[in-house]
Order: sequence, then structure tokens, then C-alpha cells
Amino acid sequence: MTVSELGRLDAEAQVAEDTFQMDEDAFRVFYDRTARPVWAYLSRMTGDARLADDLLQEAYYRFLRARVTYETDAHRRNYLFRIATNLVRDERRRPRVASTPIGGEDDTDCADPRSSDPAAAAARRVDLGRAMTRLKPRERDLLWLAYAQGSSHQEIADALGLKRSSIKLLLYRARRRLAALLRERER
Amino acid sequence: MIPECSREADVLEAIAFGRLSDATEPELAAHVAGCPVCRDLADVARALHADREAALRDAHPPTAGMVWWRATIRARAEAAQTAMQPMTVLQGIAGACVAGATAALATVAWRLAGASARLDDLISYFASGRGEFASGFGFEHALLMLVGLAACLVLAPLALYITLADD
Repeated sequence: MTVSELGRLDAEAQVAEDTFQMDEDAFRVFYDRTARPVWAYLSRMTGDARLADDLLQEAYYRFLRARVTYETDAHRRNYLFRIATNLVRDERRRPRVASTPIGGEDDTDCADPRSSDPAAAAARRVDLGRAMTRLKPRERDLLWLAYAQGSSHQEIADALGLKRSSIKLLLYRARRRLAALLRERER
Repeated sequence: MIPECSREADVLEAIAFGRLSDATEPELAAHVAGCPVCRDLADVARALHADREAALRDAHPPTAGMVWWRATIRARAEAAQTAMQPMTVLQGIAGACVAGATAALATVAWRLAGASARLDDLISYFASGRGEFASGFGFEHALLMLVGLAACLVLAPLALYITLADD
């Protein structure tokens, strides 16, 4: 490694130290714990795997640059999901050009290998994907965070910027709608 | 009034651990079959839980090092851009000063050289078909003045552009 390379690395480390809210080691630990659930959330909410990759990078960049004091690790995680939710919301407002759809017609390759019937599992995923597209964006966010992510009402409220007291009712309505749509597809 | 059931938490837990079936939790499964609230909850939670598992299997996020590196590069670029911003403002002010000074100097030079008189000479020269031109000296000066003005008209915007250009 040359002196100029060392100087460049040093300058980059200095920029990171001045700009980001955590050091690289702490980031690695946090990222390894959260990247996959955040990617899953982004990919299912946008329906686009490539877009999820881009949004993941953007979410962590915004997270690193945020000047927020986190009380707990859960707070930090909720804040990250809040950033992800805002990114998804922004993305929904943009006109779509091209995408790599998830849960489309030909989804058998992604079937659960542990399932007794991979084709049935894939079909259920397709049904879910279609039913989810008929829900409002906020309903999708709510349901995913509550039942896929297993977040508490407080965590959902933090992530979506809603009042905690309203989560129960919103969740109930969204759940009833999705259940009805899923049953409609089963028939 | 939101319909609720006291066994919702049990249903969610059973789904999370994959044991909501007649074989593993017969009593709970029977309850779910008969309770509309728990049935909706079970249908939705089971579908979303399975979808999340599939999404996690599909997930291949970049490594932490890669994300950190990209973020560092971007932060550095943004820091450089921010640092350049006052320079751009200063460049604008400098450009305006240069333009103002050029205009002032041109006005002074115009007056000192008696440019209006020279212009009259020039006009009368062209009007009379070069015959009654007051003095050859005056004509040369007027011509020089015109060339200088034309040069200023071309060079001043160029200088302004070069001064204000970011790169």
C-alpha cells in the first residue's frame, strides 16, 4: 500500500467519523442483524428486488447520517424501518419504469424447500402478492410490520409515524380486508 | 368497537413457531376454526410469516463493508460539494464585480476619448462617402473604439462564463 493510498484511506475514515453517527465496527454489527429483514420489507413493499437493493443502500446511508440519539437498540431499529418506510412511500409516488417483480406468475423457483408441497407454497405466495396489491400502501406496511416482522404496536407507530392508539383499529381493518381477499382467491 | 379474542397472542405465537395445526395444537386449531377473529388473524399471519421466510431466503444484501464503503464515498463527495458551495457564491460575486468594473472603465474611456465626437465623425464619414471626413486621425480613433467595444461584447460574456463555471 502506497503512502497516497494510506492518506486516502485516512481521509475517508475521517470523513466517516465526522459525518456518521457510528463507527464502522458498530455499523457492521448493526447491519448484519438488520439488513436481511429490511431488505425483505423493502422487496415486499415495492415488489421489486433490484429496487430493494438500491433502497437498502439509501436507507443505511440516511440512517448513518441521521443525527439522532438512540435510547435503545430497538429505537435504532425502528428508526431504520421508518427511513425504509419513507423511501418506499417516495418510491410509490414515482412513475415506475421497469422492475424485477417478486411473487409473480412464475414463482415456483422461490418456493419454500421445507414445505411439503413447494408448488402449493408458491401458489400461496402468488395469491398473497396479488391480494396485497389490492390493499392500500399503508395497510400493506401495517400488516407486514405486525405479522411478518412481529413488531409491537409501539414499534409500528414509530416506524410509520402514526399514533399508537390508532394502530389497533387500522390493523384490524387491514387484517380483515386481507383475510377476505385471501379467502376470495382460495375459492 | 373492535372485536377481540383473548387467544390472539397464542395464535400468533403458534404461527411464529410453526406449530398451529391439528397435530401439534389441536385445541388451539379447533378454537381458530370456530373464532372469526382468530381465523382472520391466523390466515393473514400464516401467509405473511411464510412470505417473510421466503423473502429472507431470497435476500442477498451487499456486505456491511460494501455498504459502509459506498456511504463513505458518497459522504465525501457531498462534503466536497458543500465545501465548494461558498466558493460558487464568491465566484458569482467576483463575476458581478468584474462586469461592473468593466462597464465603469468602458464608460470612463468612452468619455476620455470623446467617443461621441469620434462617432459623429465616423457617421459623417460614411454619410458623405468618405469625402468630408473631418480628420483621418479622428476616424482611426473611432474605428479603434468600435473594435474595442465589439471585443468587449464578445469577451465580457466569455470572461463571465469562465468565472462562474463550477469546473
